[in-house]
Amino acid sequence: MSVIELDRGQTVAAEQRSPRLSFFRTLRFRLVLSVALVHAVLMGAFVWSAVNKQSEAIRAELHNRAHSLITLMAVASTNALLAEDLGSLAEVTERVKQQPDVTEGAIVDVRGDVLASTDPHQVGHRLPAPPDGVAVPRRNRLRLHEQIRVAGQRVGTVFLEMSTRHLKSELAATRNEGLLFILLALVVGSVAAWVLSVLITRNLYTLMAAVRKIGGGNLGVRVDLQARDEVGLLGGAFNAMAESLQRISDQVRSEHEKRTDAERLACVGELSASIAHEIRNPLSAVINSVKLLDRSNLPVSDRAQAIAILNTESLRLQRILNDFLDFARIRESRLLEDDVCALIEEVASLIRQNPQAVAVRVEVECDVCPCRARHDPDHLRQVVWNLMLNAVQAMPEGGNLHVRVERAGRIVRISIADNGCGIPDHLLDKIVRPFVTGRKHGTGLGLSIAQRILMQHGTSLSIVSHVNVGTEISFDLEAV
Amino acid sequence: MRIDPSWVQDMFQLIRRLQSVLCWLTAIVLIAVSGAAVARRPHYLRFGVLPLQSPTMLAGMFLPLTDALQHALHRPVQFVTAPNFAAFMRRVQRREYDIIYLNPLLYTRARRWGYHVIVKVAGEPFAGILVVRRNSPIHALGPHVLPPGLRVGFPDPNAYAATIMTRQYMETLGIHVNRDLKVKYFGSQDSALMAVYYGMVGMAGTWLPSLRSMPPRVQRELRVIAQTPPQPQMPIAVLDDMPAHETDRIRKMLTHLTATAGGRMVLRHLGFSRGFVVAHNSEYDGVKP
Repeated sequence: MSVIELDRGQTVAAEQRSPRLSFFRTLRFRLVLSVALVHAVLMGAFVWSAVNKQSEAIRAELHNRAHSLITLMAVASTNALLAEDLGSLAEVTERVKQQPDVTEGAIVDVRGDVLASTDPHQVGHRLPAPPDGVAVPRRNRLRLHEQIRVAGQRVGTVFLEMSTRHLKSELAATRNEGLLFILLALVVGSVAAWVLSVLITRNLYTLMAAVRKIGGGNLGVRVDLQARDEVGLLGGAFNAMAESLQRISDQVRSEHEKRTDAERLACVGELSASIAHEIRNPLSAVINSVKLLDRSNLPVSDRAQAIAILNTESLRLQRILNDFLDFARIRESRLLEDDVCALIEEVASLIRQNPQAVAVRVEVECDVCPCRARHDPDHLRQVVWNLMLNAVQAMPEGGNLHVRVERAGRIVRISIADNGCGIPDHLLDKIVRPFVTGRKHGTGLGLSIAQRILMQHGTSLSIVSHVNVGTEISFDLEAV
Repeated sequence: MRIDPSWVQDMFQLIRRLQSVLCWLTAIVLIAVSGAAVARRPHYLRFGVLPLQSPTMLAGMFLPLTDALQHALHRPVQFVTAPNFAAFMRRVQRREYDIIYLNPLLYTRARRWGYHVIVKVAGEPFAGILVVRRNSPIHALGPHVLPPGLRVGFPDPNAYAATIMTRQYMETLGIHVNRDLKVKYFGSQDSALMAVYYGMVGMAGTWLPSLRSMPPRVQRELRVIAQTPPQPQMPIAVLDDMPAHETDRIRKMLTHLTATAGGRMVLRHLGFSRGFVVAHNSEYDGVKP
């Protein structure tokens, strides 16, 4: 029985995530408990019954002995009683006294006068005549009496008292022996149950360990159970399941790779088409302007216009290429714990100095200041800059730009809202893609860059926009 | 409300006195009750029977009689015998028995200690007998008939019919018991008869009631070879301090036993089929050892 690991990846993590089972809730403990209990109950009943029978036998033996003795005593003393032969009667009681457990014996005539007794002080005294054949219960004593009858008439009574101390000590010894047997049975039963439970559950524990490893992502785990019982069948089913899971997982991974490759190719094609589309117009303008400038008879005013177009379009081409390079060269974020309010105030100041924002009223509102969050300051500065610049450009006639920083538990939410022209609905879903823009001279890379940076922070943009009403873009950072 | 301390003290004293009075009353009541319980115990009339036979056999014979006496007297009667003749007579001397049944000779001694006869066994003459085994070669008594050194058994030296009368009878026939025979005493009539039955002795002295009380198989094996001349029958005597009305009631009851079926049953147990008749002291004046 063993666990065969084909891949050890993430097994430990999976085991750590598994809930720890209390010993008292384990199958092993319950099995031990139930077997031990059944064992104890059965043995208890058996021993109790045996002890009872033995006790009854001991009691019966004492009673029989007492009855035999008193009968013998009555027979032996009849003649002497009739003859009031006190010497012979004393001899009878003396002999009776020598019997084990006898504490008292007395021979009484028909009047109730004690003619002989093991206690000499009783002789000559009178005793009441009790009913015949009744054993009178007394503490640690068994007291019997039997009438002596001749020709159907009572001529006297014989009393016999026997100590039950020996009987009780024997009963106590029997009971203690019984208790010892029960205890022994309990111990032996528990040990046997423990061994049995270990044999039964060890394969289950192996299976449990394998399941945990599979839960941790290690689909290569297999169990090797030698058992030929239900657990063995379960192990086989488990191996078949793991085999199937691994096969399906491989298929999924292969298809995912294929789909990713296809998406990547499509993205490259789309990006290439976008780049080509973006640079085709200014490049055409540049080529046409160069052709015009090549004419010798070109009027001066047209030449100047061609040169102006050439400058404008080449600058546009340069900007497109720079933005694309920025998009392509975004480095990995280095997250620090720092105040975001100060950073946003700093960006807001730069925006206010931007000529495009002359007619825009920029407001920054921080709920908590300083408001510390995990972020890369350079990247966050670029994100906020891009978003605020987009907002300003969406309000060419002026408007309000409202930046709000608020903390809600473990999250810092930054939202940038404007009352500009808004984003058309058909662009809203794909506005964060490269080269998708709603503005005539926009490159369509600002939001893409912001989205890529925020994805490295483990978050993304959330955009709510209504045409001619305004746009609010927000994102969350992890508060510290 | 204020309570006067002296009043409280008086109350305590009163309670203590009441307690002591109650204790005394309780003690008096207990003593009275226990005294009454003692007084309620019946006084037994003790009927002493000479140990002619084994106590159990005597009990079998006389217990029906004592039972009948109980019913007649409305008071309990205890049958009792003694280990031997001597012990019996010592108790008679100590007046331990209220009623006695004994032989005529011992009765003459009992008279000295305050007993007087009221009835005697009726009908059958009081005589001793000599018994041998049925297959014994002895058929008659005579000076030279008995084999020399013959072993003879008697119940007790004081057994009047069985010992004294039979010995006197043999002496009158010229048999010197002490010289010609070997005498052995067995304590009771039964024992002497059983000694003959088992061949321990060649001959035994006894009397007819004892022979009749033996088991039939024993009786069949025994044979009477001689009977002594009769003497006054076995008496029943009572103590002189017994109230006269009680004595009369006992006498009446004993002499009327033959008149009722129950009485006849009692007599059958005793072996005295003719019952008892009234007897007087003078009848025993001639009885001598």
